[in-house]
Amino acid sequence: MPCPSDRAVSLSRLRAWIKQFGILAAIVIIAATLGCAKPTFLTTTNLVNVARQISINGILGVGVTLVLLTGGVDLSLGSVVALTGVIAACFAHPGVYPLCVPLILGIAAGMACGATNGLVITGGVPPFIATLGTMTVARGLAQVISDGRPVSNMSPAMIRLAGDVGGIPVPVIILAAVALAAWTMLTNTRLGRHIYAVGGNENAARASGIDVRRVKMFAYTICGALTGLAGIVLAARINTGQPNAGLAYELDAIAAVVIGGTSLSGGAGGIGGTILGALLMGVINNGLDLLNVSSYYQQIVKGIIIVGAVWLDRRSSRKEG
Amino acid sequence: MAIETTLPDRPLFQAANISKSFDGTQALTDVSLTIRCGEVHALMGENGAGKSTLMKILAGLFPADSGDVYLDGRKVVHHSPFQAMQHGIAMIHQELMPILDMTVAENLLLGREPVGRIPGVIDRRVARAEAERMLGLLQLDFPTDRRMRTLSVAQMQMVEIAKALGQNARIVIMDEPTAAISNREIDALFAAIRSMKARGVAVVYITHKMDEVFAIADVVTVLRDGCHVATRPATELNNDTLIELMVGRELRELLPKPCEAGEAIALSVRHLTRAGSFRNISFDLKCGEVLGIAGLMGAGRTEVASAIFGLKLPDSGEIVVHGRPAKIRSAADSMRLGIGMVTEDRKGQGIVPAMSVAHNVTLAALDAYCTGPFIRRKRERAAVDENLRTFAIRTSSRGQPVGELSGGNQQKVVIAKTLLTNPTIILLDEPTRGVDIGAKAEIYTIVARLAQQGRSVILISSELPEIMALCDRVLVMRQGTIAAELAVAKTTQEEILRYAMPV
Amino acid sequence: MKRSALTLTAFLLLSLGCNQPPEPSKAASGEKQIVIGVTMMNMANEYIVGLNDAMAAQAKASRVKLIVNDAQRSAEKQVQQVETFIAQKVDAIILNPCEVEASSPAVDKAQAAGIPIVNVNSETSSAPTAFVGSHDEESARLAMEYIAARLSGKGEVVMMHGYMGQAAQIKRDRGARAVLAKNSGLHLLAEQTAEWDRAKAVTLMENWLQVHGDKISAVFAQNDEMAMGALLAIERAKKKDQVIVVGVDAIADALQAVKDGRLDATVFQDAKGQGSTAVTVAVRLANKRPVEKETFIPFQLVTKENAGTFAK
Repeated sequence: MPCPSDRAVSLSRLRAWIKQFGILAAIVIIAATLGCAKPTFLTTTNLVNVARQISINGILGVGVTLVLLTGGVDLSLGSVVALTGVIAACFAHPGVYPLCVPLILGIAAGMACGATNGLVITGGVPPFIATLGTMTVARGLAQVISDGRPVSNMSPAMIRLAGDVGGIPVPVIILAAVALAAWTMLTNTRLGRHIYAVGGNENAARASGIDVRRVKMFAYTICGALTGLAGIVLAARINTGQPNAGLAYELDAIAAVVIGGTSLSGGAGGIGGTILGALLMGVINNGLDLLNVSSYYQQIVKGIIIVGAVWLDRRSSRKEG
Repeated sequence: MAIETTLPDRPLFQAANISKSFDGTQALTDVSLTIRCGEVHALMGENGAGKSTLMKILAGLFPADSGDVYLDGRKVVHHSPFQAMQHGIAMIHQELMPILDMTVAENLLLGREPVGRIPGVIDRRVARAEAERMLGLLQLDFPTDRRMRTLSVAQMQMVEIAKALGQNARIVIMDEPTAAISNREIDALFAAIRSMKARGVAVVYITHKMDEVFAIADVVTVLRDGCHVATRPATELNNDTLIELMVGRELRELLPKPCEAGEAIALSVRHLTRAGSFRNISFDLKCGEVLGIAGLMGAGRTEVASAIFGLKLPDSGEIVVHGRPAKIRSAADSMRLGIGMVTEDRKGQGIVPAMSVAHNVTLAALDAYCTGPFIRRKRERAAVDENLRTFAIRTSSRGQPVGELSGGNQQKVVIAKTLLTNPTIILLDEPTRGVDIGAKAEIYTIVARLAQQGRSVILISSELPEIMALCDRVLVMRQGTIAAELAVAKTTQEEILRYAMPV
Repeated sequence: MKRSALTLTAFLLLSLGCNQPPEPSKAASGEKQIVIGVTMMNMANEYIVGLNDAMAAQAKASRVKLIVNDAQRSAEKQVQQVETFIAQKVDAIILNPCEVEASSPAVDKAQAAGIPIVNVNSETSSAPTAFVGSHDEESARLAMEYIAARLSGKGEVVMMHGYMGQAAQIKRDRGARAVLAKNSGLHLLAEQTAEWDRAKAVTLMENWLQVHGDKISAVFAQNDEMAMGALLAIERAKKKDQVIVVGVDAIADALQAVKDGRLDATVFQDAKGQGSTAVTVAVRLANKRPVEKETFIPFQLVTKENAGTFAK
């Protein structure tokens, strides 16, 4: 009988590596090309720029990765970003409350939206519909709260959330912390394992004694909390809470996750891929801006890369049998 | 249809030196196979022996790593089932894939609908005539406008075969066609196979069932561990020689002896009822006992077990576990009470296909390998390796996705997962379905060992010899009720069947 | 399930009932009150909200009733809303068009029904009964001329566009280019859309600073949202002393920034003037009194010196 041989182990590991490496290679090739075309691309300050620019999409991507892994989807991200940004901005006027108040309220509002999604979905409404509802409601709430106007006059402490610490942008630090925590959760905890199981085969998970409702509630709530965090970071970055901010952010976040190899049907993928996916999109965006490529072409390039990345990924996984 | 002009014993199809590996596991090594016109060629071997892999290569589902395929002596290459079909090779899959909400005619003509005078619009009259012609090839007479959904599994299978014949298939590959159909339907299937044979169509027949092989096959090829073992005329073989070829060792006695049950009662079920599934079910399960539940499909056996395990809640009735009335609302509840279940539906409720073998094995018992919320990888790995050994699970590594394993190995993973929670009451629902003889013997040994350890087992099985050999007592279910409770030592298979048949 | 659906329906009906405006009944004098249907392009836009506020104030002063609908950027929705107004037999319609072509059927339908229709702020290709607005080209011309003056006609300029193809973007682009053509010393170094959006403008400006570095001497953003975004990115890069930033619209944020000396200039589009004039014109039309076919409310350049007078 063939035992689990070391050779086979290293082989499958190598394949897993190549799979991740595929996106990484794409990023390296694109970056090298851009570097040749525009030497400024490869300067430290620009690379820091790219990192800063992907941080919001990255944070959202991490959150929605959890949801996609359970086999769900969250379309409410963009609207919740606007809502939480507006709420945080309302409590961030200088000299009124300490910084922790807008922070906590923004994240709590995001969690509430996520928990609502979770409740409605575990109550039997398909995720697509449930989060579509939340998307519309959250956008409306953001406009009601802000009276349709940007909420400005923000305290310096809040604005500093979009600043730098020791040359590293704070949003990047936040993204790194969020990604690390989510990665640890997914790979090293029971809950993480349960998320994969629920997405991979919900009935088998239930028959294994897993509380499927709890797992889904958790995924949507954490996704909501991270969306709240992203909303705060965005508000700090643009110095206002904008009721119309975050339009279509959910699609960018989902694109990053899918480019990163997470399956839309759930059960397979991870945080590493999502970060790479967000990075790929950020590099393209930044590079095309540097080259002064018209936005018409930018959209075309982005669309082709999203579909192309996923197509390559599926093709390689089909070959494995 | 014109009868093929090829001479009966000229090779119609040859596969030469086929090799294939997945993820470092050699699935096929240098396998050759010759198929002649009008012959029924049985392909046998344990699960994981490479039968399905070989057939899927022939049907164009995936390419071989090396080796050639010849049709009428000419080398052919096909990259897809569609191309294989053009070469006259059709496969009837184990799990049929009809479009349930289309009619029989629409399914038969799927992809080659006749177009009438108006471009793009299907000519229904021609379509109907064509569909009737195809069904006529098998002497089938049900209306072509019935929805697929309303057909039985066997009827769907017939439609698939008719579809293959209607497209002038010269080789029809059937992967365990009798796995889900009744005896009467098997007769009809065999009649269909004989009529194909008469037309000069070759049939490759994959099965685990010995009696079928001797009833229908002309030639038998046996694979073992991805290698060709033997190709012999069926008349030269008997039960024992065939098993020996498949397993590679003599199997004098597959089944262990039943052991004595204790007196203490582990599980007591009283008046359990669920509308539409079962009613007034009462029985006791002793410690160390193996209790069989026999009955036809749809008699309510699976539903009772699911109710006890908390997957489908009963409407009324009482469950007492180790003397205490139990409130079971979910699988998590019953697992806390020491109940474990191996479900009948392995793909639907047993495995998480994309997850690794290791993660599937520990899925239900993860608490034991955690400190706080964190998984202790080392402890988990050690437990997994031990289980892979204990249950002889064949996998390229513990990281291999379970979905890539053979059916028998998947089943062993599910059993390992269930037993890892250390249950005292174990519900096994058709644990040997779709499992090869070697794995069956291993599963029997596990059941006997569980009873010896003083644990209680409920074994639901459609294979009466299995129940006769392993159980102390047997409950016979019929149309949602317990029709009889019999002591195995004092009953016969005939008596059990008599109680199982609807009145 | 059925019951909960029933409850939900009942609740919805009830809440609709509560929101029902009081019958457009007779005014206290016994004479029929004038009702004007208003459809706004997008109430999520700060300028449009200001326009709406001005209309509401004027309506109150003129004792007429406004029914205000938000088309949420959808011309199709806007046409439907106008159809509803026609069915309600309002006395006049004020249309704040989403799009030049796609909103035109709304105008045609009102004209065919014999109900006077006033376009406010932007145009449609079909001619309305009256137009109240401003020449969008003029706003960009004022902004660009300010930049030219500050740079003494020599320097490198970047321009942020709105949504490509919208009337405002096309006209502001035209106005800006007219000034560039007259000043041969001014070069358009780069141009790109930031879709009227502050967050996108921050990212775009960061990238421009990266590639063009110290070469940029002025930024013209086609609205204040983008100007504020560009300003943030420039301030973070500590280059504000080298770059002039100018926007259009004079939204509250931008006015404050001009007052604080952060933003160099914006162009005041008179929401109050447009809104109140639109209502006045509509009321005159409803009373069958003559009106100007087109009323243009002038733009005004806002700099630190005069910012105080535009306080909102």
